[in-house]
Amino acid sequence: MPEPGEGGGERDALADVIRTLREPPPIGAEFDARVMNAVRRDRPPGVWARAWEWLGEPRTVAFSPAAGLAMAAGLLLVVAATLRLIDQPTGGGAVAGSAETQDVVNGAARPVAMPAPASAQRIRFVLYARDAGRVALVGDFNGWDASATPLRRAATAGVWTVEVPLVPGRYTYAFLVDGTRWVADPAAPRAVGDDFGTPSSAIQVPATSPGGSSL
Amino acid sequence: MPAPRGLSNVDHSDGALVRRVLAGETDAFAGLVARHRDRCARFAVHMLGNREDAEDAMQEAFLRAFRALRRCEDPEQFGSWLFRILVNRCRTIAARRGRRQRTIVFDDEAVERASVAHPEDRDAWREEIAQALARIDPLQREAFLLRYVEDLGYEEMSRLTGTGISALKMRAKRACDRLRDLLAEVYHA
Repeated sequence: MPEPGEGGGERDALADVIRTLREPPPIGAEFDARVMNAVRRDRPPGVWARAWEWLGEPRTVAFSPAAGLAMAAGLLLVVAATLRLIDQPTGGGAVAGSAETQDVVNGAARPVAMPAPASAQRIRFVLYARDAGRVALVGDFNGWDASATPLRRAATAGVWTVEVPLVPGRYTYAFLVDGTRWVADPAAPRAVGDDFGTPSSAIQVPATSPGGSSL
Repeated sequence: MPAPRGLSNVDHSDGALVRRVLAGETDAFAGLVARHRDRCARFAVHMLGNREDAEDAMQEAFLRAFRALRRCEDPEQFGSWLFRILVNRCRTIAARRGRRQRTIVFDDEAVERASVAHPEDRDAWREEIAQALARIDPLQREAFLLRYVEDLGYEEMSRLTGTGISALKMRAKRACDRLRDLLAEVYHA
């Protein structure tokens, strides 16, 4: 097929069309500001996911006796203050747990931005990759961070596994093998509308899961 | 010419900007937006046919890219990765608003009435081109814009769209034929 503009001496409408379409677009720098406002309102890539991961990880915590005593004293003060609030009589003669009192108590708890850990379920991800030297789980729940959720070798040769606490919702994820190869989960449906150029899978963590949940 | 003071030792490549964003410097993303805005705008405006939809597609593409930045396997190729996201966003928005677009696009009488301007009048010529592009099948339009306006090779187009090379060549050819037909009369008037 001759390329546009290769039609000889006659003026080629298509060549002029292409020249016209390559002219600078009508969207200018003010668009950048709008995007950056939206970006700044958004969470930074992986920050909340890493925070959630951190909260879910078991770890050993060391206290000195003095620090332990100080923390215990502080905890007692908080409990005592809370009990005083609950025990205060309300105008309607309500007992502890009335709507008015709970507003105060719940109000104190509201600033906690992360989802309650109680709603999270431990989801087990498994991949068979016999020749892999390392495997990582990447997904929108950990900001696609290849270092956040490494899989461990299971007792069975070639099997890699990891458990991740996830609150109910829909997630997209993939396995990253040896730091370079993206692999969708063969045991899960492929993510729909995924336009990032690498294969990925989808998982729906239900709101309730009798007896635990795993893939 | 010497580099401006303070900038000489700063790496402004896409890869460097991506790494700075991933390290928590959100404002570095502005560099990526500024660098790739014009190319994205050119494609989105011509693909979707109006500025509002194009800005929606671009904003969605940049935000999706920001959220999934760790999925950008080669940060130096951020532009190609972003463009792939944009092409898909344009497809989604075109499908979402397809009914409204068809109402405009296939009103042949309206297009005929509009076909009275000469290419010497650049604004009218741009309008003619926009009308003609809007009348082409969206997949043919996409192939035409990627090949001839964005100057991509067919292999890259194939990676970007997930479509085979022969199908892309056919789409681009049909788009060229259709555009020639639609614009010949007004162009040679």
